[in-house]
Amino acid sequence: MSLQSESREEYLEAIFKLNQQSEGATVGRVAEDLGLAAPSVSQMVARLAREGLVERDPASRILLTPGGRRKALRLVRRHRLSERFLTDYLDLPWDQVHDEACKFEHVLSDEVEERLAAHLGNPQTCPHGRAIPSADGELPDEAARPLAELSAGQKSTISFVSDEQPDLLRYLSSLGLLPQTAVSVEDVAPFGGPLLVRVGRARYALGREVGGKIFVRV
Amino acid sequence: MATARSASLSTKRRSDSALVVCLAGNPNVGKSTLFNRLTGAAVETANYPGMTVGLNIAAARWGGREVQLVDLPGTYALDPVSEDQWVARHGLLDWQPDVVIAVVDATNLARNLYLVLQLVDLGPRVVIALNLIDEARRQSLRIDPRALSQALGLPVVPTVARRGEGLDELTAAAAAVAAGSNGLGHGRAVRYSARIEAQVAGLEEQFADGPAALPEGLPPRAAALALLEGDEELVAAFGEAGQTAAAAGRTSLAVPIAAARHAAAAAIAEACTEGRASAPAADRWWAATTSPITGVPILLAVLASVFAFLFFVGGRLSELLTSLWMATASPLLGSAVHGLFGYGAVAGTLLWGLDGGILAALAVGIPYILTFYFALALLEDSGYMNAAAFLADRVMHLFGLHGRAVIPLMAAAGCNVPAIMGTRVLSTRRERTIACALVVLVPCSARTAVILGSVSLFVGWQWALLVFGVVGLVGLVAGLALNRILPGEPEGLVMEMFPFRRPSLRLVVRKTWKRFGTFLWAAAPIMLLGSFALGALYETGLIWHLSRPLEPVVVGWLGLPAVAGLTLLLSVLRKELALQMLVVFAVARYGVAAHDLRTFMTPHQIVVYALVATIFIPCIATIAMLVRELGWRRSAAISAGTVGAALLVGGAVAHLLPLI
Repeated sequence: MSLQSESREEYLEAIFKLNQQSEGATVGRVAEDLGLAAPSVSQMVARLAREGLVERDPASRILLTPGGRRKALRLVRRHRLSERFLTDYLDLPWDQVHDEACKFEHVLSDEVEERLAAHLGNPQTCPHGRAIPSADGELPDEAARPLAELSAGQKSTISFVSDEQPDLLRYLSSLGLLPQTAVSVEDVAPFGGPLLVRVGRARYALGREVGGKIFVRV
Repeated sequence: MATARSASLSTKRRSDSALVVCLAGNPNVGKSTLFNRLTGAAVETANYPGMTVGLNIAAARWGGREVQLVDLPGTYALDPVSEDQWVARHGLLDWQPDVVIAVVDATNLARNLYLVLQLVDLGPRVVIALNLIDEARRQSLRIDPRALSQALGLPVVPTVARRGEGLDELTAAAAAVAAGSNGLGHGRAVRYSARIEAQVAGLEEQFADGPAALPEGLPPRAAALALLEGDEELVAAFGEAGQTAAAAGRTSLAVPIAAARHAAAAAIAEACTEGRASAPAADRWWAATTSPITGVPILLAVLASVFAFLFFVGGRLSELLTSLWMATASPLLGSAVHGLFGYGAVAGTLLWGLDGGILAALAVGIPYILTFYFALALLEDSGYMNAAAFLADRVMHLFGLHGRAVIPLMAAAGCNVPAIMGTRVLSTRRERTIACALVVLVPCSARTAVILGSVSLFVGWQWALLVFGVVGLVGLVAGLALNRILPGEPEGLVMEMFPFRRPSLRLVVRKTWKRFGTFLWAAAPIMLLGSFALGALYETGLIWHLSRPLEPVVVGWLGLPAVAGLTLLLSVLRKELALQMLVVFAVARYGVAAHDLRTFMTPHQIVVYALVATIFIPCIATIAMLVRELGWRRSAAISAGTVGAALLVGGAVAHLLPLI
């Protein structure tokens, strides 16, 4: 794989990631994310646009075309599967696997990707709790956000709970913190403290790390 | 001793003649209140090895029939994914109860019925105690017990455990279910989705063919469901068949099964409840105690009140007990011992142990511990403790702990021994190790007395504050360091926030007394032994020989007089005596004027002395409790760590102070 296609993949991935955040992808933000100078980003984006992978909207945000999105999701899938492999099989701590996975994702062939997913038991989420896109490029509920990002007073519905800690998942299920359940945040302790949430008639205090594994739609 | 008794108590069913009744239910639904109401005072605790949550067992008589009641830990479910759930599940399977009384909270029926439906799936006969029915009425919730009974297929008895209402009906219903072989009490099981039911049927067939008996005496359907939910213990017991079933199920079926149970529970609750719940008035209180702006001042005010209560009530109690002892038992003991043994070393040693030892327990230990336990039980039963844990969670996180650790750390300011017992509110061994290490560094009332009596009195209160500050810093560093060093990761906090309730004085007193008893049995013998040992060393004069080997460290590194080192060493036996002994020994060596520490120590030396005395391992009773809770190796490491920290900090301060 050539260096150029690798960097093209990095761009698509960065644009995809930034578009999931509220501000969207601009040349400046892509440059910041990839640690590159704005002019060279501008050049590359123009090239990707010529290849039909991205387009610019009137607010000069960079959007992915359906083709670009497919490529990006494929890469996101490989990245997140690689992270799972690094944590589950090589016992690397989850906060260190991102950079390693950035290298892995470019060298996986379709077949290796498929085998890797099968070996890992077709996981739904990466070690950080983000959803892994399926092999046919579907991303389960992209709009879902970690409960921990909500602020006091917000109401939401649970979309899914990360399955990286099966015991936690089961414990939360037994409490009724299940997909399609309404959950509202009543209070958020300051400085990264726990969340106070209401589910039905019960209230629970959830640590931020637990709240980070529950994905909701506002 | 309470501990020995509980250790030897079997966790299995012991009697075939007595009726065995298990109590199951969510936390904070009045299950323990019901247990206390149904049984007498003699409660035993059975512990599974390595588990900190135990089963409470007590005997009762129902209409002439002997009954053994087993109180399972309060849990939301029976999956072995947390310690309390593991114990509840095993308690249920090991005791093979004739009937299970499931205590449910009428104000939160939907969530509570989840456990009931899981019980029905598991197989034992069940009777429902529909508790807190009075509180539900206050929230304008009307629950129809007959409809609930019909929906569940189980007898339902409304109760108010706090006032003892409905208990006769409950025991009658339980006895009837236990006696009846007509299937009464088996309940209507949840029908799961076709996909799950097909898998269950397949597994049931497999069990019918297989020669092996089902582990733990589970009915086939219960075993099949547990396998599909990924129950690791069961998977192991089943060998290869289990592996395949679990691989098919694992987390992919655990969630749908849980979801189906919740849906069924919600539907039943909905059908049996009339009226919309009005928000309880307590909700407004809630918001105030957990919102950061009002919550933190409230937390500080509560902490301040607890300390004030501790020092005023505990102090009064201490004075009272001391003067009572001095006026009555002390002279009697003195004349008895002198009459029997004369005035030699034997009499002296006995008096150190009996008179001095018991006096110390009365003056230092008991008053503060009793008052602290009372305050703690009051806070727990009111429901405030959870708000405190919520607010403290972030700070505790720095140390790899979560919010609940704030409770034992507060307790430690009274006495370290019950605080170490209190670390049981934490769930992992890692957390408990860190919490114990921090507890040991919190100055208890005895050490506070040493600081105040030496530094504050002879050097100045600002210096006493400095000593507290340095000790606090040592604790901070220790917590941060332990969180980095110890393997593993901090557990995430998942804690139910209970609504506020008016605590019942009777229950608070009962709880206080029970904990106090455990403390007394565990700590008092060691305190007495320590006093005897100290007395023997002093009365025989052996004590002076210990001084020389300490000199390089005490005189050379810490820059303290040799007698001071001796008292530091001996204060392991009884910390509050560090100061008293210092004066006694100094008078023995330097003459009467030495009762003022300044005659033989510089202000700097006094500060260093107080620092070292405070930081290094509190006392022998604390060590004994550490060993009981954490085992020898970790206790030795914590003890050695505090000695190292004391010498390091003491020496550093000794060398730095002259430079300022």
